[in-house]
Amino acid sequence: MNDLIRDSLDHCVKCTICESFCPVAQVTPLFPGPKYVGPQAERYRGVGPSADASVDYCSGCGICTQVCPQDVKIAEINSRARAKLWEKKGIPLRNQLIARPSVIGRLGAPVAPLANWALHNRSVRRLVQSTIGIHRAAPMPSFAGKTFQTRSRKHTSPSPDAPAVVYFHGCGTNWYEPRLGEMVVAVLEHNGFRVIVPKQDCCGLPLQSNGNFPAARKYVQRLVANLAPHAHAGLPIVANSTSCGLMLKREAHEILGVDNEDLAAVSRSTYDLCEFLLRLHERGELRTDFRSLPLTVPYHAPCQQQGHGIGKPALDLLALVPDLHVVELNADCCGVAGTYGLKKEKYAISMAVGERLFSDIKATGSNLAACDSETCRWQIAQAADVTAVHPIELLYRAYGLGAHHG
Amino acid sequence: MSYDTVVVGAGLAGLTAALRLAEQGQRVLIVARGVGATHLAPATVDVLGYTGDQRVESPAASLPALLASSPDHPYRVVSDAQLRAALEWFRSHCAGLGYEGSLDENLLLPTALGVAKPSTLVPRTMSHGDLRAGGRFVFVGFQGFKDFYPSLIADNVMRARLPVPVTARALELEPPAGRTGDLGGRVLAERFDTHQLGDWLVEALRGKLDPDECVGVPAVLGLRNADATWQHLESTLERRVFEVPTLPPSIPGMRVFNELTAQLRAVGTRIVLGARVVGARTSARRIDAVEVASGAGTTLYPAQSVVLASGGLASGGLELDSYGATRETVFDLPLTGVQGADRVRFLPNYFDTQPLSAAGVSVDASLRPVDAKGDPVYANLHAAGAILAGAIPWQEKSGNGISVATGYAAAQAICASSTAPVAEQVR
Amino acid sequence: MNVLEAEVLVIGGGSTGVGVARDAALRGFSTVLVERRDLADGTTGRFHGLLHSGGRYAVKDPSAARECIGENVILRRTAADCIEDTGGLFVSTPFDDPDYGDLFLAGCTATGIPAEEIPVAEALRREPRINPGIRRAFLVPDAALDPWKLVWGCARSAEDHGATVLPYHRVLDLELDGERVVGARVLSERSGDELRIHAKVVVNAAGAWAGQIADLAHCKVNVRAGMGLMIAMNHRLVHMCVNRCKRPADGDILLPLRTACVIGTTDVFVPDPDQTEIRQPDIDLLLDEGEKLVPGFRQARALHAWAGVRPLFEDNADVNETRDVTRSHALLDHAARDGVAGFLTITGGKTTTFRLMAEVAVDAVCQQLNEIRPCRTAEVPLSGSESNAMYRVSARLAAREPVPQAEEVICECELITKSRLEKTISERDTVNLDDIRRLLRLAMGPCQGGFCIYRATGILHGGGRVDGAGANRALLTFLDERWKGIHPILHGDQLRQSRLDDWIFQGILDVEHLPS
Repeated sequence: MNDLIRDSLDHCVKCTICESFCPVAQVTPLFPGPKYVGPQAERYRGVGPSADASVDYCSGCGICTQVCPQDVKIAEINSRARAKLWEKKGIPLRNQLIARPSVIGRLGAPVAPLANWALHNRSVRRLVQSTIGIHRAAPMPSFAGKTFQTRSRKHTSPSPDAPAVVYFHGCGTNWYEPRLGEMVVAVLEHNGFRVIVPKQDCCGLPLQSNGNFPAARKYVQRLVANLAPHAHAGLPIVANSTSCGLMLKREAHEILGVDNEDLAAVSRSTYDLCEFLLRLHERGELRTDFRSLPLTVPYHAPCQQQGHGIGKPALDLLALVPDLHVVELNADCCGVAGTYGLKKEKYAISMAVGERLFSDIKATGSNLAACDSETCRWQIAQAADVTAVHPIELLYRAYGLGAHHG
Repeated sequence: MSYDTVVVGAGLAGLTAALRLAEQGQRVLIVARGVGATHLAPATVDVLGYTGDQRVESPAASLPALLASSPDHPYRVVSDAQLRAALEWFRSHCAGLGYEGSLDENLLLPTALGVAKPSTLVPRTMSHGDLRAGGRFVFVGFQGFKDFYPSLIADNVMRARLPVPVTARALELEPPAGRTGDLGGRVLAERFDTHQLGDWLVEALRGKLDPDECVGVPAVLGLRNADATWQHLESTLERRVFEVPTLPPSIPGMRVFNELTAQLRAVGTRIVLGARVVGARTSARRIDAVEVASGAGTTLYPAQSVVLASGGLASGGLELDSYGATRETVFDLPLTGVQGADRVRFLPNYFDTQPLSAAGVSVDASLRPVDAKGDPVYANLHAAGAILAGAIPWQEKSGNGISVATGYAAAQAICASSTAPVAEQVR
Repeated sequence: MNVLEAEVLVIGGGSTGVGVARDAALRGFSTVLVERRDLADGTTGRFHGLLHSGGRYAVKDPSAARECIGENVILRRTAADCIEDTGGLFVSTPFDDPDYGDLFLAGCTATGIPAEEIPVAEALRREPRINPGIRRAFLVPDAALDPWKLVWGCARSAEDHGATVLPYHRVLDLELDGERVVGARVLSERSGDELRIHAKVVVNAAGAWAGQIADLAHCKVNVRAGMGLMIAMNHRLVHMCVNRCKRPADGDILLPLRTACVIGTTDVFVPDPDQTEIRQPDIDLLLDEGEKLVPGFRQARALHAWAGVRPLFEDNADVNETRDVTRSHALLDHAARDGVAGFLTITGGKTTTFRLMAEVAVDAVCQQLNEIRPCRTAEVPLSGSESNAMYRVSARLAAREPVPQAEEVICECELITKSRLEKTISERDTVNLDDIRRLLRLAMGPCQGGFCIYRATGILHGGGRVDGAGANRALLTFLDERWKGIHPILHGDQLRQSRLDDWIFQGILDVEHLPS
């Protein structure tokens, strides 16, 4: 049979474990829960769109699929039902817009000071909320001005003959957090790699989660085309954005149904950044010349990172740093789920979902938190009032690499 | 990453084995397809409730007879002392839930149908439902919560086979203010945790109770603060209050899961959910590494020992295909209690003892799965929990008892067999 | 003893019986219907659910085919709420002779069935799961028919027009006045009371049991029971009614029925229509045939198996293959045939043509009573189908949508709310959860009652209709009853479910030790 996602509903034994973990269903009755809209409602879906618009309240965090003991692809069923829903209703402008980070980037980055003023100006945000529907208080990153792509072109590898690794930095790094990208490159180079930064655009994930599968497929296939030659050449691809990495590893195939050799090769070659570094360490190839970092840092493994099925490699890596005390947080989700928490009608849900995480972070008393995913970091930084960093930044500092940069 | 022990499965048996190993200094990884039966079964540790039709008053006293009649029973590999140690270990590791009871006598707790069911260790929040004490009971339901029918419970409790007189009645309360409609146990638990519902319940019961009545409520008194809520209810209502377990999802079971996983995290155990173990790298009858599906490929986790706690037919640890072949799904281990090549024929009456009821892997004294000759299949593979052959736990009322006992025993066997001192393996 | 007076007494509460009762009531006859068990508990409630276009009979049984297409058109108009317009697809799989397609098309043309050959690629686009090796594909106006809705819609409509419908009333005897049947003595299975019903005409619509009823009037009616096995699969593997394009045989129909899909059937003579033991080889046969139609079928989840009996009427009983017996119906006027007046038997046929059978039977009633009253069932819609809107699979989901959690959903698989359940229990005045199951589809989904039957028992008890002992009995009876349909197909995912259900009923609730 050719429909693995729908077929997985056959495994559902109605045990309700997914619903007891769903962070959204706990805080709002608008979402009837992953079992309800997933394997249960799927039996009521014939040809044509689903009758249940409430599936749109699924944030797509994917926790249901992770905790399901029976291998039901719950989040994936929901994702496809959302896409079918919007296929008929038409996707609103707002969702079209926030689903295209690279388009926004191209518009905003050249005029970064102005754009950033607008992004953080109350009157503008109120106007944006009422016209477009992006909540005025939702976390917004700042445009960096000079993108990571631009910066990386000026960068020359210290050891051109070293083994190469391909860096898939994603949109967040490119437009908003180019410093993070530089740290990733520095850490990889410190470990003896030559870092290739291929030309790249959005992976299509935000389009997928906003229900625009056709556009998402185009984006991901374009990205795959850029990465495939490296994958076929046997080079590893590392991604610091956990959700975009997951798109390449699994979702492009499992959810969007893209099925070709290039994608398969890219999927096999793609590693989450921390996963990649931990594998190096297992082979004894990771440099462990870490300096003492006497900090207490709460760490949140984002939902999409958990979707990789690789555990929490960041914890094992950070454990190598002397005097660094990492507190593993146990709240499931920060609530933002990519673009979910930006939406006017979902912002309050998003904040309620994240409340437990925010208060756990605050309880540690630290003004620094670590998290692998960019949108989650922005959400955490704003809601918990801390500086939120990718774990690689802690490694970068522990390696003492910051000294070389301004 | 290499580990001292990889535990397959995150149910009660897997969590018990993992924590027991981790607290003895082992580096442990838990890999599971998802959350286990903690979330389905009531959190009572039922060691043995029935042998045949006979209700068990004292598990300690009845176990020898059980083992005599079911020589393949998983309890065979656990001595009385070890079973007591396992229960004590469990009690001390769920200290926040205040488990009560002992191997020497079963409590009789009302089920959500009002049947007096034998249980051995029970969380304090349930212990005052012990019907052996007799007395007057009120079962209280909340409108909107569909997994609790107080009048049916009361009706059946009145007619239960008990040594002492019991009376029972029912109260159905209006739904709590705020969120109405279809109220799940999880949502109610959340609201008890934030104290809103504890006070509401006290208010709603004011003037409706006789002085000597005990109050039974569905087991949704909270996930994080249930014990405190229960104490608050007992002291404010000035009477005994107890929870009655309901259909899945089991809120009390989630408390156990949360207690044990918090301790596992604290000792550095890694838990990977949503991951399927697809096989193993083996050499010379040893498992060298466990192979886990990830993304488009697989990840190898080298390990000194492996605990298989993947559950029985309900959890997918065992599978029966449409041609009648039964299979152990992780390592394709030999099974006992299964039928031959012919299609499995189930019997036409539901309550007959059905084929495959006691199917599973047979183990040696170190809980290592054995082949037909009785030799361990892998020298470093141990099994625990519902995957073990020889028990019909839902009929015996022995599910969690077997899981705790064999999870604990598997960990002990691994520690005993470790050649290098455990402490040196710690990084 | 209570006595009821009627012009027409109908025996049998399947589609034919309720069809006759409704037709007679619509023509203004005072009518009583008796059924020994629940309505639609015999053949109708156990058929596959295919509203035939007639395609299946186009080659070998043209008259049956013509009847089917005629009734198909009428029922779409009058029983819209019972029908989902899925469309039908006849496909030549690699196991079938593609040349049969030519015979098929010719047969359809000759019998007036609109059939159209479509490209294989188009068929695969519409039904992506079916065997990619199919060589030909034909569209026909098959549809999915909900038998319970149909029967209850007819019954309610009959009652609206003055008929009395009495389920759980078993005929003990026919009353004869000389060579004339004048009524029946019946037993209420619920109250234990006997009842006498006087009627001018008695219509025997007992289907496969019609021979047993005719015996009571000393008439010999040879109705043989052809047992057919069906398996419901967990979800819609196909969205259209898919038939193999070949001579009708076992396991060649797969159709969507509500949230499930059904594969059928087999066909073997059984000596007693009440003895329908499901045999394992027949299960395997259906699974294997399913595999030919939808590769991977054996890995898909089977929910439930059941067997129904076709009433196969044969005046000269020398036919050994049930598939050779015509699927057309037979009306027997026992006055002409056996010298017993006031007594008609209508049998044979199939659910698709139930309305026509009823029309023919009530025409004969008119003749016996010397009345000229035209049939109205081809125009008047059934109770529940007045709006002419055909059923859609998403209906229950859509109904929940405005506020999905507005009230408790008791059966989550089939989306049955508490108020709906309470209303039905009260309307039917029943304590039998199996009756509720058929009416509402309670416990017909994946968990087969694993979660909802505990709830339904609590609600039954809470409504005051039964005491604790009665509630316990209802629960235990249901568990035993459902097991009959589950155990023959227990493997894979459904065994996993069943084991979880064991944990719920025995491990958590301890039902084995319920006080009696």
